[in-house]
Amino acid sequence: MKVFTLAELARNDGKEGRPAYFAYKGLVYDVSGSFLWNDGNHLGLHRAGGDLTGKLEEAPHGEEFLRDFPTVGILDKS
Amino acid sequence: MSLVSRQMVEKAGVNVDELVELLVRNAAAELTTFYYYTILRVNLIGMEGEGLKLITEDARIEDRNHFEALVPRIYELGGKLPDDMKKFHDCSACPPANLPKDPTDVKAILKILLKAEQCAVRGYTHICNITFGKDHRTYDLALAILHEEIEHEAWFAEFLAQGPSGHFARNTVGESPFVSKFLHP
Repeated sequence: MKVFTLAELARNDGKEGRPAYFAYKGLVYDVSGSFLWNDGNHLGLHRAGGDLTGKLEEAPHGEEFLRDFPTVGILDKS
Repeated sequence: MSLVSRQMVEKAGVNVDELVELLVRNAAAELTTFYYYTILRVNLIGMEGEGLKLITEDARIEDRNHFEALVPRIYELGGKLPDDMKKFHDCSACPPANLPKDPTDVKAILKILLKAEQCAVRGYTHICNITFGKDHRTYDLALAILHEEIEHEAWFAEFLAQGPSGHFARNTVGESPFVSKFLHP
């Protein structure tokens, strides 16, 4: 599985046709095909291209929603 | 324009720009749901489908009522609706409730209706959570909508035999027993 640095992850921000990825608990998810991530923007509250671990606690849904999206890599924060 | 009503909400610690964005996206979800439910409803035919038509109509009209009720609050808080209808559709807080591939599959339609209502329940619960004790007017509105969305969810879930009946019923079509106080003639 591909290893992403934070800088590489940031390039997948979903804007201008780029893929929309984000990291959660060390895994990188591809949400490019999701209506709710149009332009890498989730409800105006969250942006693709970053590590969203910790943000899910604020959301009205749980981790189970991530199962709908493919994992495309792991995040290396070192 | 910065009304005192907006200033009070800001002073209470709410990020009003984020709240307005959520309200706009949920208003988009309501209006697009009204549209998609129109298509789902006309496809509810036959012995199974006709039995669902009336509650689908209630949910459809009440979702439109939710849109109508949300709009004034968006503008009161200094927000606005997008000029472009397509942009409005695409910013919806919930995915399109599209007709299933087999439009004669009543159970598939029912699952789409249920999923749409569950998305709405999550959305308004979130708005209630961030406005509770801080933005009383938005909270009151979001709570009223939440009451109706929860009833819609329960109703569709009951048809899928996912739980005992909550006996959700309306006296008139699209009655909006909770949201009607926000609607103006």
